[in-house]
Amino acid sequence: MSGDSLLSIRNYLKNKIFNNQVYLGNEKQRNRVLELLQRTAEQGESNSMLLIGPKGSGKTKLVNSVLKDLQANQKTFNDDCIIVKLHGLLHTNDRLALKSITFQMNLDNAVDGKVFGSFAENLAFLLACLKTGEKHTSKSVIFILEEFDLFCGHHNQTLLYNLFDISQSAQAPICVLGITCRIDVIQLLEKRVKSRFSHRQMFLYPGPEENSEISDLDFALDRLKYYLEIPLSEKNLAKTSSTVKKKWNTSIQTLLNDKKFKNIIQRLTDLELNENILKLILAKCVFALNNKNQILTVQQFEKELNLLEKDDMVKILQDLSFLELCLIVAMKHQCDIYDNNPMNFEMIFTRYVKFANKHSSMQSVQRPVVMKAFEHIEKLELISMIGHQGKKEYRFFKLLVTPHQISEAISRSSGVPTEIVQWSNSSLA
Amino acid sequence: MDENLLILKKSFPGRASQIDQLWNFFGTTREPFPPTLYISGGSSTGKSSIISALLKALSIKHAMINLVECYTSKILFESILNQLSGHEIDPKIGAPFARCDNLMDFVEHIQKMSLAGSVIVIDKAEELRNMEFNLLPGFLTLQELTNVQISVIFLSEIAFEKYYYKLNILEPFKLHFPQYTKDELLEILALDFDYLENVSTSCDRDFYRNYLNVFLSVFYRACRDLSELRHMSRKNFIVYCEPIDKNQLTVHDSMALWKHISPIFTASMQVLYLRTSNDSSKPLAQNLELPFYTKYLLIAAYLASYNSAKDDKRLFTKYHGKKTKTRKDVNRKNKVSDKLNTQMGPTTFTLDRLLAIFYSILEDKVGFNNHLLVQVSSLVELQLLSLASDPSTLDDRKYKCNVNFETIQSVSRMVGFNIRKYLSDFSHM
Repeated sequence: MSGDSLLSIRNYLKNKIFNNQVYLGNEKQRNRVLELLQRTAEQGESNSMLLIGPKGSGKTKLVNSVLKDLQANQKTFNDDCIIVKLHGLLHTNDRLALKSITFQMNLDNAVDGKVFGSFAENLAFLLACLKTGEKHTSKSVIFILEEFDLFCGHHNQTLLYNLFDISQSAQAPICVLGITCRIDVIQLLEKRVKSRFSHRQMFLYPGPEENSEISDLDFALDRLKYYLEIPLSEKNLAKTSSTVKKKWNTSIQTLLNDKKFKNIIQRLTDLELNENILKLILAKCVFALNNKNQILTVQQFEKELNLLEKDDMVKILQDLSFLELCLIVAMKHQCDIYDNNPMNFEMIFTRYVKFANKHSSMQSVQRPVVMKAFEHIEKLELISMIGHQGKKEYRFFKLLVTPHQISEAISRSSGVPTEIVQWSNSSLA
Repeated sequence: MDENLLILKKSFPGRASQIDQLWNFFGTTREPFPPTLYISGGSSTGKSSIISALLKALSIKHAMINLVECYTSKILFESILNQLSGHEIDPKIGAPFARCDNLMDFVEHIQKMSLAGSVIVIDKAEELRNMEFNLLPGFLTLQELTNVQISVIFLSEIAFEKYYYKLNILEPFKLHFPQYTKDELLEILALDFDYLENVSTSCDRDFYRNYLNVFLSVFYRACRDLSELRHMSRKNFIVYCEPIDKNQLTVHDSMALWKHISPIFTASMQVLYLRTSNDSSKPLAQNLELPFYTKYLLIAAYLASYNSAKDDKRLFTKYHGKKTKTRKDVNRKNKVSDKLNTQMGPTTFTLDRLLAIFYSILEDKVGFNNHLLVQVSSLVELQLLSLASDPSTLDDRKYKCNVNFETIQSVSRMVGFNIRKYLSDFSHM
């Protein structure tokens, strides 16, 4: 395979992984959303619905693909309705949300003449705009609220109340579609808001569809195949010859059929079924493609999975100097002896000095230097302080790493003095 | 192999695998970058310098932001936009490229500016947790929010798991910069040779390496921070060369040189991280020149702070009557270091108690007068004592002693007083 064709394949794969807009699976749910929005657009029905599912289950993608379909298939759709997209992270209060709504509904021309001083006036204007419409004559508005749970934190839930209120009464037809990853989102709604909500909820889960015969493993392999295979008719890769594509596809097929590879993916699906994690590993392997390693290998996936499974805290512990490691071991012993009671610097220092005096090979270090080491440990958040009063030496803290992580870090890093290793392994402090 | 990559690897020894990984991510500017990348690693492991060198070498449009400087979201957004737009602040006007108060405005500006393929680097990313709630998830999903292919790189010293506090946030790509090993440190510090000043002509590269070997064998245990080690090595090299400059020794007398430098190393170990010059590094007690009675007052204050009032009778009166030993006393003697008073921090005491202890430990009789009382307030002034009660009342003032055990021990040694005898923690030993 020549370098150029590999580059274009890599570019294509990266684009497919990061900018993929095609929605796969969950046809039933997708159809329900499609139907709902269609009814709002065509028949002027008002509606509200919540789409609930964990991160990476494809909620946003589902909605976007539905909207894309509607816009593409029905010429009247763009004339029939306006789409207003709000995001809980962006529109952190109702004022910002209103500003954005006015802008997206192209009402800022109407606003132009008047200067709205207060939030209340702005809201009143917007409501008047929506209310004057009649069921059959006016355009319908589709509100899509991403991170819906964050909107529940707004003052008095004014925005939600008004949106749901309009969707209940026979005013301008609107559809409110909330997207959230919080399963208890209904409980966040105030009573008067809740009673106006249609209670139409839909749950999306990652992984294979319910009642289907597909196992998690096959599902993941299927997704991988989708991301990695190159359709022969792909337009973006018109320059690449079809033999190269075929060769690539066969290499992918052998990879997917490999028993060892299946084992690795099984390990991954046992950990998490989230599509994001799958993409994360996949993308890292695709990024590693270059002239030297021209195809994806099992070893690469295995390496990435091992990296993923590695404990970050152990890595941080391995970076500590031996002095800091001594302090951590002293804390571990203190925890063991006093049953996880909080401790302070003074206790740890005494324990450390006792250890250092016993072993002449340990250079004695002065208190201020030990204090600095201690502060470094605090900065890395390996311990957490309890309370903020008093001098640092006497403030109590708790250890945030487990004994297992400590011993793993010590056994993994090389060159740790034997006395520290022995000290950490001994049950007697 | 790209020339830039080779230059990078050469200028950052010991970081080859990290640079390779970063090169995989960002090396080809035409292809999509990973949307978010989280780089963790201790201080001075080359996180920021490698990233900025890489982005410069590839001439990728980027903004480097340190959250210590950008402590509010407004400053943060505006400085990112300033850097991405290449806007230079005119000192006369001082206006930023665009005013930007919240994430919504920020996203709008990003969308307007055609920033595809640019990178935002956020240093000290752990600060994001203390800022507005929407910043961390907002930056983690910036591509999704803006629909612009802009990547965000987070640099931080702590593990990513410390960020899971409230939201289930999207996992970024992760890369860990481990702390340098001893050999890598030697390589990096050896690069210093070209920048050394006042070096006698007789030393060459090998001589400097030998020195570093000796230096690291002492310092590596207590410190792995490159910048601190570099500071120390430069400072001590001048001393190391002194005998050679004076023609007492030659470069080949390594044993004699070691004998000469080893006490100096020990001395500078005591000021590691403290950045004090050697002469002022004497302990506090020796720098403190207090009058004789004031020293006793300070000792009395320490005793009052670290003994409980109910032990006073036993400790300070000559004829305290016979005390029958109870089970509790025996148990207390057996305890090793559980909750020693000296480890739990100072407790408050009244002026009366202080004076009573003062007169009890002082052998010669001194009149109770103004001069004595003034000393108490001057000790407060010196921060050796601190006022623990309401400063507006004159009656019933309560104090705390701020001095630690080592200092008070050397103060008592100066006046010939055995402090351990009068501390309930030690008196039974």
